[in-house]
Amino acid sequence: MYSYDDIDREMLIDRVAEFRAQCARRLAGEITEEQFKPIRLMNGLYLQLHAYMLRIAIPYGTLSSAQMRTLAHVARTYDRGYGHFTTRTNLQLHWIKLRDAPQILDDLATVGLHAIQTSGNCIRNLTADPLAGVAADEVDDPRIWAEAIRQWSTFHPEFSYLPRKFKIAVTAARRDRAATRIYDIGLRLHRAESGELAFEVLVGGGLGRIPYLGPTVRQSLPARHLLSYLQAILRVYNRHGRRDNIHKARIKVLVASLGAEEFTRQVEEEWDRTDKALVDLPDLELARIRANFAPSGFATLAPASAAFESAKAADHAFARFARNNIVAHKTPGYCAINISLKVPGETPGDCSAEQMDLVADLADRYSLDEIRVAYEQNLILPHVRLDDAPTVYAALAGAGLATANIGLISDIIACPGLDYCTLANARAIPVAQDIARRFADPDLAERIGELNIKISGCINACGHHHVGHIGILGVDKKGEEFYQLTLGGSGDDDAALGQILGPALPADRVTPAVDQLVQVYLRERRGEERFVETFRRTGLAPFKEAVYADAH
Amino acid sequence: MKALTANRLSDGEVVFWAQGAWVERFGEAEAIEDDSRAETVEALARAQVTQIVDPYLIDIQPVADGFAPISYRERVRALGPTNKPDHGKQAIGGGDVELLNRAHGSARSSGRVNLIKRK
Repeated sequence: MYSYDDIDREMLIDRVAEFRAQCARRLAGEITEEQFKPIRLMNGLYLQLHAYMLRIAIPYGTLSSAQMRTLAHVARTYDRGYGHFTTRTNLQLHWIKLRDAPQILDDLATVGLHAIQTSGNCIRNLTADPLAGVAADEVDDPRIWAEAIRQWSTFHPEFSYLPRKFKIAVTAARRDRAATRIYDIGLRLHRAESGELAFEVLVGGGLGRIPYLGPTVRQSLPARHLLSYLQAILRVYNRHGRRDNIHKARIKVLVASLGAEEFTRQVEEEWDRTDKALVDLPDLELARIRANFAPSGFATLAPASAAFESAKAADHAFARFARNNIVAHKTPGYCAINISLKVPGETPGDCSAEQMDLVADLADRYSLDEIRVAYEQNLILPHVRLDDAPTVYAALAGAGLATANIGLISDIIACPGLDYCTLANARAIPVAQDIARRFADPDLAERIGELNIKISGCINACGHHHVGHIGILGVDKKGEEFYQLTLGGSGDDDAALGQILGPALPADRVTPAVDQLVQVYLRERRGEERFVETFRRTGLAPFKEAVYADAH
Repeated sequence: MKALTANRLSDGEVVFWAQGAWVERFGEAEAIEDDSRAETVEALARAQVTQIVDPYLIDIQPVADGFAPISYRERVRALGPTNKPDHGKQAIGGGDVELLNRAHGSARSSGRVNLIKRK
């Protein structure tokens, strides 16, 4: 994985020193909150309901063991011994003190971690396919390109004051595991007919108040021109994106109002007059970045593992874990292990400092020192020998980290909601906890199969409710918490925005309603149909009828 | 009836106004009956830039043996997150915590004075 060089390290040291001085001035009253707020936000420090919240960037969701141990150290020393992994693959700490913030950033900088690009109207921390370097269906490691964008975008003077925040997701695989259609820019690397690497460029996706799936503005951009093309997109956005209305300032609104065709024309025109050589990454630099991601440390192994197979045969629980949480690796004899942070009844995405330390130890010993964060708020050990999988499973099980529910109904995405967030209208976590408890029986969850529930506590949609197979949006209805259900959304290859089921429900009706939706699915499904496929075939009617029967 | 709340600058702790001082427990907050006095207190608080951040008035109402914020959001602030009963002021327990736990209704929009205007 990528190691920060002297330039990166110097940048972080300077940045922390600068922030330390700014914090001291704020605490001494030399600058006002109005002056300080944009500064602390640019260092990832928000003020939430109960305390300050620090959002730590995890670029393209990749961590080393040392980095994970440092996150554990920070959670233990400066917070309450846990952290919350988010749908943007960042880590949020909810109980931070302003006076500790500079020291925390100092501690993080020792392992190349920081909170840069986690707030403000800049190009934010990038996300990528969490199975980068693992999946057989990828044409390249998408993190090479994500890292190139990171270096280009960090503190980019022209793009530090965009009309609104700007998020980019990158994948290099056939299957979209990075939700590229709901990003400001989604990049899908593939091999063009000519044989060269090329990006499909999607622009103007996003959730929030006005959700859109991003249209493709360029089918096949030669990969070497990535940065100049991004510059052209951002220039058109900077020029025409709305700054008068925060709710209409994202690029999705510009793309929708101009139309994808006209937007593309303007981007191409801008790109045509760009001196590409000045912007595009030199081959030498690309090669340097690429070398950081070259697979190393893999042993030559047989594709099958007797130890793995016999553990599955001997242990029913491990067999279930293998079915749901272990995925194939392109290197023979290896696998990737998904670590669910969704124990039914617990807070989705939360991870204790002790669990972080354990995951770091396991990565160090069994996964070539690497950990991934997936946007579904789970972790991954990406490079585990099949032979070691039973041992890793046992260690995870001992720490409450072996819930075998990846992609199942209890693997629920939930934002922090009204329990922590100043923007929220309603709670999301207790709703997730209640639903997960209802479906905690692993046999039941497996019988239901793939079903993604995504919950947001407000219309900003951090919990991706628009693209949940079942989406749940918390609303404030005459002063009470109510929940609006949508069905049929997806952030994957079959991306779609969910359709509203009917009037919002009070909190205590949500889990019974989900139960009714599941019953309809189990009754209506044909063969191996997933929930979302049954829904697409039948439409809303049978589901709506079941949930609102009492209202007729 | 109103109370004045803010977050403490140095650590973000939720605090309430009580006769010129800032206290951590809602049970010790001053219940301000007079609207013009509430505005005066808010203006005083705004000047305390090295102590607190973002002071604002909230509506409160009498409940058995005391007062509670009308807004659910403000009760969450006064108590702590509902998913972690061992975090926030609720962890300390006491009569005022029990009283807040018994209050119900009103999610976010109500009870924070000038919420929309302030954004």
